[in-house]
This record gives sequence, structure tokens and C-alpha cells, in this order.
Amino acid sequence: MESNAGTKETRSNLTASDGGEVTAFESLQFTDEIHRLILAPTTDNSSSFTALLELPPPQAVELLHSPDSPKLIAASPPNVEDFQGSFRFPSNSGLIERDARFSLFSGEANNSNEKRNSPESKNVSANPEKNVKSEPAETESSQPLVSDPTVEKRSIKRKDRENKVKGSTKKSKTVANENSEDAEKLPYVHVRARRGQATDSHSLAERARREKINARMKLLQELVPGCNKISGTALVLDEIINHVQSLQRQVEFLSMRLAAVNPRIDFNLDSVFTSESGSLMDSNFPSLVMPAIWPEVQGNGHRQQYQHQWHLDTLQQPVWGREEVCNNYITPENSLLTYDSSANSATLQANHLKMEL
Amino acid sequence: MNTSKPPTMDLQNLNPSSLKSRFATRFLRALTKINAQKPISPSSPTEIFQRYRRIKVAADKSMAYSVRSRRTWSRATLWRLRTRSPRSRLATLARRSSVKTRTTTVVDKTSHGKENKEERGAGLGVEEEELRELVPGGEAMDLCNLLDETAHYIKCLTTQVQVMRTIANLYSLD
Repeated sequence: MESNAGTKETRSNLTASDGGEVTAFESLQFTDEIHRLILAPTTDNSSSFTALLELPPPQAVELLHSPDSPKLIAASPPNVEDFQGSFRFPSNSGLIERDARFSLFSGEANNSNEKRNSPESKNVSANPEKNVKSEPAETESSQPLVSDPTVEKRSIKRKDRENKVKGSTKKSKTVANENSEDAEKLPYVHVRARRGQATDSHSLAERARREKINARMKLLQELVPGCNKISGTALVLDEIINHVQSLQRQVEFLSMRLAAVNPRIDFNLDSVFTSESGSLMDSNFPSLVMPAIWPEVQGNGHRQQYQHQWHLDTLQQPVWGREEVCNNYITPENSLLTYDSSANSATLQANHLKMEL
Repeated sequence: MNTSKPPTMDLQNLNPSSLKSRFATRFLRALTKINAQKPISPSSPTEIFQRYRRIKVAADKSMAYSVRSRRTWSRATLWRLRTRSPRSRLATLARRSSVKTRTTTVVDKTSHGKENKEERGAGLGVEEEELRELVPGGEAMDLCNLLDETAHYIKCLTTQVQVMRTIANLYSLD
């Protein structure tokens, strides 16, 4: 198809877009416009296809080379109707996810291509320059279209539209569809691609994938402390790797510590994690004093040593929390010192653990 | 993230279905079992080392069990723990036939892993490889999923460290 080749070439050559990326605020205005566009009546005139097809490449090139933004505006609005039902445009990630879903719309795109092309074709047969301007008049009754932000929005929409169209090109092999798509693209190619970026589906998919990856990296940056200030993927990944390594090492240290420490008491787990734990807490409340007193009574040297050795990093809240609680209770209650049954102490420790956790 | 844990460590009752409580229960159970097995006075380094190994395995296992099979890393950890070296070849074959993974290619960590990496297109270089090695089961995932798994893995590791440290502090209090 010569026309296909011609349009593809022109499309790849022209990257006239308004630059910039979609920002959130554009999406708000966008959905309104989309709704309006959807409500605009569509005419059904299949015979005008051929008129569109006959639009010669030079005319298309001329259109393409006219970089005035107002003219470009015509581009997307009619195509928006294809979306018919998914108006979630908005953030980059939303756009990107759309790549994955365009297959859903291929059917719709196929169906609505014909309808959509017809209004264009009428204009195309007329003066091509007026064509571009009059289309908006036809499809959008009362919309002022001249601002650049709208063009930007539209250009991004065009990109999505393009994705869908490409999806439909992939899926449907019918000549009519392909012709209609090429024809419909002719007047609008110049807004399709972002500036300086290729427009074939591979690079679009690649771009979408990269955006996904960047989104995940941001989440990871929030998880890992100290990563917010670092910019650049490699350094952030380095930080993440260091963090994972340090966590794994901490697990090893702690298990070594647990192995070395002699537990004098077996935890009575059943009492801790059953539903009666509430009442247990109440009944054992006076016995919670014990832990504070035991260190004094038994003079444990281990504790000091381990605490000095293994205080490695910032997750020290449990230790501090417990010390505060203990300090509150270090009123000498010597009557409790006689208390040493293992069962009670097990529940005591268990409750203590529960408190800590 | 599919699990929740209480945000603060205060004097509340635990949310019984949080990751933290699930892990803590399992780990404590395993710990008591380990302590019950051996006489509780291992003074020689080898005995301590053996206990250390067992405890570490118990910790990793109980964390992986708390996450079930929802995550690739937990599945990989459980698989690794179940089939350790003596049965390596049989185990690899068994895994290939039974495990359904999202990737289209079979997971063989030694040879196919590199093919997968190349197929994934332009990655992020050395760091990506390192991350794959660190996160269990990371060899066969594309970068996008790898980052997801890393985030969940970091969260679980943090929980694990918190619980283990609390337990260790309690133990050493006596």
C-alpha cells in the first residue's frame, strides 16, 4: 500500500508535538471534553471512505508541515469517540496501563473507525487546511480549542488512540480497517508522537514498560530509608540492594544471638495467642513487674554484653519501650520475689512478648 | 501489599491475622521445638552453630509460610528449603513439571537464567543482577515484577527482624 508507506514515513519523520508530558490537571479538563465528544452525534457515511483514501500524500505532508498548533487541535477530538466508555485519562501511569488493555478496544475501534472517519472525510474532500479547523466545529459544537494545554492533552490522547489503533491493526487484517486507519491518521499524524520519540508500537510498549518500572522504583524509594534524596536508577538500586543485604545479615545475627542465649523458660504459646488473652493480661498484670526485678536478682551479665554487641541499627523501639515500662514498675515489691513457678513465668514472658509485639 | 500489620508497637492486642502475628506464632513454635530438642547448655561453638543454622532455617521457613504461596519469593524460599542439595537434580525436574510460573520459559537457575536475562531487553546492569540474586526466586522474573517482589520482600524482612529482635531481647533478659 503506497499510501500506507507514505503515511508511515511521514509519521516517523514528524515528531511535532508540544513536548511535555501529561500532568494531572489536564486529565480533569480532558474527561469533560471527552464526554462532550462522545455525546456529539456521529454520522454514518461509509462512502466517504474512499474520498479519504484518495487524499494524496503530498497533501498530508503539507498538513504535517504546518506546525501551527491550532490546526493540530483538530486531530484528536473525533478519535476520542472510540474510547466510548473508558474515560480514565489521566496520569502517565493510567496512559501506560492503557497499552496493556488496548486489545479490549480493538473491536470497538474497528466498529467505530468507519463512523469516525466519515466526518473527517467530508472535510478532507474540501480544502485540507480548512478541513483541520472545521472538524472541531463539526464534532465539537461549542468548544474553544486553541489553547496549547489542550493540544498537549490531545496529543497524549492521540498517543493512546494510536495505541488502540495499532492494536486494532494488529488484530484485524481486514483491508477496510487498515485503510480507514491510515486514512484517518493522515490529517492527524503530526500530533501523534511525542517530540523526539519513535512511534512504532515496539517503542511505545517499551516506553510503557519503562514508566511502570519507574513507578515501582518510586515505591521502593519510599520503603527504603534514605533513598528519597538519591536520584538516578542505578544509585537507588544500589541502596535497595544494600538495604536487603543488611536486613538479611540482621536476620543472621539475630538467629545467632537466639542460638547463643539460653532460654530458661519455655514459652507457653497457647496462653498467649488464644482468645482469652485479654483476661490473661488482666490477671497477670501484677506479675508483669517481675521482668524488671529479675535482672537485679539474678545479675545477668549476658544481657549487658549482648545489648552492647548487637545494637546495630535504628529499629530499637522495642527495647526502649520495654525499658520505659520496666522503669515504671521498679518499685521494690519483694513479696513477688518468691514467685518462680515456670508455668507462671512462661505466661508472664508470653504476655510480655505480646506487649512488645 | 496484600498483608497488613499493626503500625505501632504499643500495648494493644495483636491483630491475629497480621503478618507480624502469623510470623511470630510460627517462629516461636519452631523455636521452642528447637530448644526442646537439645540440652540447653551448648557451650561448644559447633553446637551453637548448629542451633544457629536451625534457627535461621526456622525463621525463613516460618516467614515464607506466613506469606503462603502468594509471592514468588516465598514460593522460591519454601522450595529451596524443602529440597536442599542431596536431591538437587530430582528436585529441579520435579519443580519444572509441577510449578506453574508466570514466565514462559522454564526456570533453571543455572543455565536458562542467563537466557532469560538477555531476553528481557535492556536491564539496569549489574545492580539488577545483584538484586536477582538477593531476592529468592528473582532470576526468572522481569524487572517490573522483580521490583514488586523486592518491595514485599523488604517489608517481610523488616517484620522478621523486628520480631526476632524482640524475642532475643526477651530471652536475654533473664
